[in-house]
Amino acid sequence: MRRVGIVGAGITPCKGRWVEKTYYGLSQMAVKTCMEDAAMSIKDVDAVVFGIYNDIFELSAIPEHPLQGIIGMVNKPGMRVTNGGATGAYAMLAGYTWVASGLYDTVLVLGVEKATDCFDFESMTETPEVIKTIGWSGDTFFERELGWTASDSYAEVVLAYMDDHPDDLKPEISAEIAEILCQQAKNNPYAQRRDEVVTAEMAMNSRYVVYPFKLLEMCVYSEGAGAVVFAAEDQAKAICRNAGTEPVWITGIGASNEHHVAGPDYKRHKYMGRIWSDYISSHKAYEMAGIVDPLNEIGVVELHDAFVKQLQITMGELDFVPIGRTDALIEEEIMTPGGKVLVNPSGGLTFGGHFVGGSNVFSTWSARREMFNRGIERGLVHGTGSTVAQYGVAMVLERS
Amino acid sequence: MASKSEPRVIPEHMNPPQESEIVEREGVSYLQSNEAMFTFYKRTKGELSKYFLGLRDQKKIWGIKCPKCEAIRVPPFAQMCPECDFVEMDWIEMPDLGKMNSTPPITYFAHSLFQSWVPFGRGRVVLEGAETALPIHVYTTKGVLTPFIFKRGTPVKIVFREERIGKPTDIFAVPLEELTPEQRSASPLMEADLDFSQPVEPEMGATTHAHRAAFDTAVEMLTRLSQDVERSTRAQHNLAGWKRRIAVRTAAGNLGLRIDDGKLSVTRGKPRGRSDFVMIAEDPQLLVDWMTFKDSLTNAIIAGTLWISANREFTTIFKLDRLPRSTHRDTQ
Repeated sequence: MRRVGIVGAGITPCKGRWVEKTYYGLSQMAVKTCMEDAAMSIKDVDAVVFGIYNDIFELSAIPEHPLQGIIGMVNKPGMRVTNGGATGAYAMLAGYTWVASGLYDTVLVLGVEKATDCFDFESMTETPEVIKTIGWSGDTFFERELGWTASDSYAEVVLAYMDDHPDDLKPEISAEIAEILCQQAKNNPYAQRRDEVVTAEMAMNSRYVVYPFKLLEMCVYSEGAGAVVFAAEDQAKAICRNAGTEPVWITGIGASNEHHVAGPDYKRHKYMGRIWSDYISSHKAYEMAGIVDPLNEIGVVELHDAFVKQLQITMGELDFVPIGRTDALIEEEIMTPGGKVLVNPSGGLTFGGHFVGGSNVFSTWSARREMFNRGIERGLVHGTGSTVAQYGVAMVLERS
Repeated sequence: MASKSEPRVIPEHMNPPQESEIVEREGVSYLQSNEAMFTFYKRTKGELSKYFLGLRDQKKIWGIKCPKCEAIRVPPFAQMCPECDFVEMDWIEMPDLGKMNSTPPITYFAHSLFQSWVPFGRGRVVLEGAETALPIHVYTTKGVLTPFIFKRGTPVKIVFREERIGKPTDIFAVPLEELTPEQRSASPLMEADLDFSQPVEPEMGATTHAHRAAFDTAVEMLTRLSQDVERSTRAQHNLAGWKRRIAVRTAAGNLGLRIDDGKLSVTRGKPRGRSDFVMIAEDPQLLVDWMTFKDSLTNAIIAGTLWISANREFTTIFKLDRLPRSTHRDTQ
């Protein structure tokens, strides 16, 4: 396979609602910014992969089709990827393979999502309708009609983890992580909650949405778009030389989807107390990149923190802390300011934003940015999604 | 066609008028319009029909067993074993007893299609002999559902609803320990066989000076709240068409709340006559925190510091939770 590098990235501001833009307009904003970052023309891009999670959010069964012309990719290959919360990460996996395989030299990955156009006319607010829209994602025969929601689905995993490890995920630790993420979002000019102040005490005292998730310890709904350009080695070097930047190489990538039905053996069904998709995808990526000790070999992690307690479990699955001892993230100062690894410097999906189809693109934009700004050699991007954290994708980024 | 009185696939009240409006952002006008994405189905349950017909007509739970690896899967989501090169599996009738696969989440904030069900637990039960866990609603017969009733391994029994249409909600699970020997041995156990009228009240701790002070404040604030409701159209709307007598018990004393079609009244001391349900809060400060926006009654139930005697009365708690904000907006 050919070496693949990221040569440009751009995102829109994350907003709770973009009245001013449709997903057409958001897509143009992100692609334009991305092209400017790479100092290249869209005419020089060979193909595009669209990451759009949910047809209902866009009110269209093939929402990507208008984007082909709108972003200047007429008569070129375009393919939509939709994989729940991990849509952006899977779209990047597709883009990566198109380049690595030699099929195309430059591929644009565009992730975009509206959400809060959805509106509940009973409560006269958006949130219940957004929850309902995502609720159509649950198993259509056996779960959706039980009132499945994304929050209670991830809560199910976390509660099962707590069955196994009752001494981990202490409330004060999750609250402290929320404060850290809030502080870090101030470093992200596009963060949705950049101006918010959330302390650990506020997070501790915030109301439950579904036990054990509290309001200030979970992601927000966002609208926005993000784009990255992948290029084969020779093209990547040439593009970056022209742009005055450097390629960020994708040296490892892995993906895994678990079963959606619960059972005791993760090799046959979903073992509810673990996120094996995170473990398997990350370890595939580590193996490919030659990483044996992530904590000492990776400087920045941008992971998909749908919920802070899930962030902790995911950090365990990614091997930064032991499963059952994820409170060590704070207690052993692993992700505290100045700690061993920088986790979600964008503020994550909790404070940065979560436009589902492109959230992992947003994470990639941030990881690359931090690698440049802080001189970090190696980073990791992670995506999770679907019911009971079924999907996982991990991608290792390197500068040299 | 169904008659107008039958439940509709999309309830009438969810259907907004066809109209558009202007929304301003930084001096610029943007148009937005009421739209919907809807499709109706005559949807087959196909190869899964035996399972859903079992729920609807036979009051039985069907699983499926692989003749090769001998795994029994419930729900029977596939008819050929994916682990054994798609060998055809055999239907098998399942017992109605099992254990919780893990601690289930309890939903208090459902979206519009499920608001009438709250609070409900969406758990997974491993029926005796099965390898997989069946997604199912879980309820308690002993008062409001909280996150602390069901745990991994809690023994449960499946209960059939009286009205069944071949959906996952045709059945639910209750803790086995809440059932009498007769109920445990009944198969199928029907919803009408359960007794929801004997909730187990939580024990109250010793009264403290802080409790007494908070109780006095709570009564005073509740009285003021009831007066504010009279001046608040929003609050009256919150309580419109609703009638409830609520007995409130705290470590420092009792009081009564009465909701009467848009009105709220408060009495100090044990209320006379029959109450629709009981609220128990050891620390009356909880009521003060609710009325001063520091916490909500809903959150107190989730946290286990407030208990109510009837699960269905959670709807009343939602209504009460809206009052402080409604009166504040209308009277300030």
